[in-house]
Amino acid sequence: MNDPGTQLIIREPFYQASGDEISVFTAACANRLPLLLKGPTGCGKSRFVAHMAWRLKRPLITISCHEDMTAADLVGRFLVVGGDTVWQDGPLTQAVRHGGICYLDEIVEARKDTMVVIHPLADDRRILPIEKLGGELKAHPDFCLVISYNPGYQSVLKELKPSTRQRFVALTFDYPDAHTECTIITRETGIDMDTASRLVEFGHLTRNLKGGGLDEGASTRLLVHAAQLMHAGVPASTACTHTVAQALSDDPEVITAIHALSESLFPGPARM
Amino acid sequence: MSHTQIESDDDLEALEERLEHLLAAATSSRRTASGPAQKLATRPPEERQLVLHWVEVAARTNPEMAFQLANHAALALSLLSQRHFRAWIVAALDAYDRRGLAAGVALLKAPDSFVADDPQSTNSASLSELTGFLEKFVLGLGGRSLNIQASECPHTDTETLFLPLHIAQETSPELNRLIYRRLAAHLWGVTRFGSFFPELDDHLSRWPDRKRAALIYGTLENRRIHALLIRRLPGLFGSVTTMPSQSEHWNQAFAAVETLAATRDISLDWLHELYPVPLPPPPAPFHYGTFQADAALQVMSRRLDKEITLFRHLLGELQQQKPGKLEFCPSSANPRNQPENGMHFSLRLDGILLAPPDSLVRLARSIVQDIGHLPPELSHPAGSGGRDLAQATTTAPHEVWSGTYHEEGAFLYDEWDHLRQDYRKGWCALRELNAPSDDEPFVAETLHKYRPLVKRTRRAFELLRGGDRRMRKQSQGDEIDLDALVEALGEWRRGNELSDRLFRRLQRDDRDVAAILMVDLSGSTKGWINTAIRESLVLLCEGLEHLGDRYAVYGFSGMTRKRCELYRIKSLEEPWDQAVQGRISALQPLEYTRMGVFIRHATALLKKVDARTRLVITLSDGRPEDYDGYRGKTGLEDTRKALIEARQAGLHPFCITVDSEARDYLPHLYGPARFVVLDSPRSLPEKIADVYRRLTH
Repeated sequence: MNDPGTQLIIREPFYQASGDEISVFTAACANRLPLLLKGPTGCGKSRFVAHMAWRLKRPLITISCHEDMTAADLVGRFLVVGGDTVWQDGPLTQAVRHGGICYLDEIVEARKDTMVVIHPLADDRRILPIEKLGGELKAHPDFCLVISYNPGYQSVLKELKPSTRQRFVALTFDYPDAHTECTIITRETGIDMDTASRLVEFGHLTRNLKGGGLDEGASTRLLVHAAQLMHAGVPASTACTHTVAQALSDDPEVITAIHALSESLFPGPARM
Repeated sequence: MSHTQIESDDDLEALEERLEHLLAAATSSRRTASGPAQKLATRPPEERQLVLHWVEVAARTNPEMAFQLANHAALALSLLSQRHFRAWIVAALDAYDRRGLAAGVALLKAPDSFVADDPQSTNSASLSELTGFLEKFVLGLGGRSLNIQASECPHTDTETLFLPLHIAQETSPELNRLIYRRLAAHLWGVTRFGSFFPELDDHLSRWPDRKRAALIYGTLENRRIHALLIRRLPGLFGSVTTMPSQSEHWNQAFAAVETLAATRDISLDWLHELYPVPLPPPPAPFHYGTFQADAALQVMSRRLDKEITLFRHLLGELQQQKPGKLEFCPSSANPRNQPENGMHFSLRLDGILLAPPDSLVRLARSIVQDIGHLPPELSHPAGSGGRDLAQATTTAPHEVWSGTYHEEGAFLYDEWDHLRQDYRKGWCALRELNAPSDDEPFVAETLHKYRPLVKRTRRAFELLRGGDRRMRKQSQGDEIDLDALVEALGEWRRGNELSDRLFRRLQRDDRDVAAILMVDLSGSTKGWINTAIRESLVLLCEGLEHLGDRYAVYGFSGMTRKRCELYRIKSLEEPWDQAVQGRISALQPLEYTRMGVFIRHATALLKKVDARTRLVITLSDGRPEDYDGYRGKTGLEDTRKALIEARQAGLHPFCITVDSEARDYLPHLYGPARFVVLDSPRSLPEKIADVYRRLTH
């Protein structure tokens, strides 16, 4: 991507705010402060960033971090083209150079050397050292760094270090309250309010299983998936089994229990 | 005489003799094996063999159980299919394991009631198949987590759902399983929606006939809960219809308790109206179970005291960590989620919202479930509750064991019984104890004694440590491999194809190992084997410190299933410090080796650890053996099953042993390459680090 303008989000991504996160994000961006989003998977962190990118009319570059990702994957590398070496900006460098929101999703999954690159960008220096070019890049005024992580399932080993955490404005996300979650599901899928509220209740039941067979209960995202299948005519408990039960666990007993919970909630002939 | 019967007196005598032998401990001059033998003689030979097999199995559990089985087996076989015959015996043995001899014998004496439960064995559903599922199902429904136990009379005491062993009311297993679900959900509803509350005792005692008052109140509450569940779980209860009573009084009462806003107070009001009415309450559907107020009130009052004390203690602890004005209170109720009202809590420190710890929320929910609200005095920490806590909770492992024979505070694990081909549920009680410590200079002496070996081990382990490797000539990488580029350009100029392997890449070899070392502390390790074990632990720990792997060391011993003791020498998080060294120095041989339960516990511990390679290494000197019959095949088969479970959980079990006979049984337990036998315990300190190195390389 050489022109980050292509990453501009034209259509408004639906996001239902559940607190003051929009105003905090806007103020942090205006003051060139980096942001840290904490929260369980599927609770709307990425959607929120997309929504904010649209709202602030800034391009968005999203990078999903993984354990093989190195600093070079973020900053850039030399390529050999027709006998010459050519420098290719990495996604982070592009955002720093041209301005835009760079969103590093699940940051703790990345290798430790990536943190070295992020630190000088996340304090008042706002510079990106590019070792291989032998220089530094001063961040564009519109550059904003956003990182996210899930404090729930990652191991202690993968906790963020205090030196990293203390550079960011932190926003905590959780599953929305029942009413907001219903609104989100109906807006996203067009399903009726009554079914949506049953689905939300189902989500709450699976969250009771956290620690008793599940690491996490159904996320809002999974409930949206279930609602989409139901809207397409798949029977409720079938939709819940395929989108929620099977997605959450491989343990046959847990899957049967989640299936039984969905069957209990949705009217229809109950069978096991 | 039919052809199935024993033809000759000799055969009968042989059968009697065999039974006499098996039942020796339960027979006397007045009570011989001849009665059971004559009954059995009426059955075909293959059935007699089957009975003898099971009598032998039962005799290992209890001689009286074996006698009763022998005495009733012939009748049972005439009533039950073979599959169901086995289920009957396993259920009886299970009842014995859980509730004692009387319960086991009662089941053995009544094979006809077992059959009444289950006229067509293929159509029934049985609790043993559904326990795990039902526990998760009711956990998902919310509220306090509930145990499931078998009982002929389905009811709940607010902590346990007692469900029948079999349900055969309907014509297919599927429908019978549905009845289990309805029964479990209904009993869950009774505990969840306030039918039992501390003042219920006073309410019922006001009436001259307390039993009748409880029956009327229970009938009304069951009806209220049923109506509530139809609204909340329409998929499960929507198709269940309730029959009107013949009494107009009762019908009016039902209509009142079935309304949306009905609470238990409505049932209490109607109790006044209905008590004088002579008609008995209408019969309740099976899935209501029975309403046993006294059992529930007893359990509730014990729990409530304990939970309030514990809650105060936890809040007090939190206050010590976080100075300031701490406030724990219900957060705004969620109107859309009516049954969860009052179940959400928030924690404020000087007015700032904090996430309340799970343990505190769970306790608060349980208290609210019992009394309907969180008492205002629990909102703020009130000094130290330390002394009350010790009185209220006897869960400290060492206190629990002193004296009585109960299982509170222990981890309960199943044990595999190879004769039954089934697990004995919650059979072994394991406690984690802190290993004693001393301040002898044992570690320093050992390190001195083995100086050259320590150095060698350190070097060998350092070589294993993860490091960075530069991979050359890669098709992708962080930087250009100039040598490869020059070479490739040369080739290109000569007219050959330009290679694309022109990069250098940094390859990280991170070791990600977590190991639990389980050390056998059985009595047989007395003397120099114990010294060799302690020395080898010192050398291994010293080496592992250089390697950087996470490791824990536990010692295990015990006597009987009720007292399996695991001594914590070093947990995964603990550093290799003086405290740990003192514990290794103080290790003493103790009692027996009930291996399976300890492997299951190590598996449970390692399952929670996030590491690429997870090892359970057992350091032992002999076969699994315990005082109460856990020897020979019983011990071996249970250990084998525990190891299979460990492997299924993604762990790598390994055994280091100094038992020279181990080659006879270890391949069966661990598989051919998963153990090492050292000829002499003296070589253990020399070899242990090497074994570990090879294992994790």
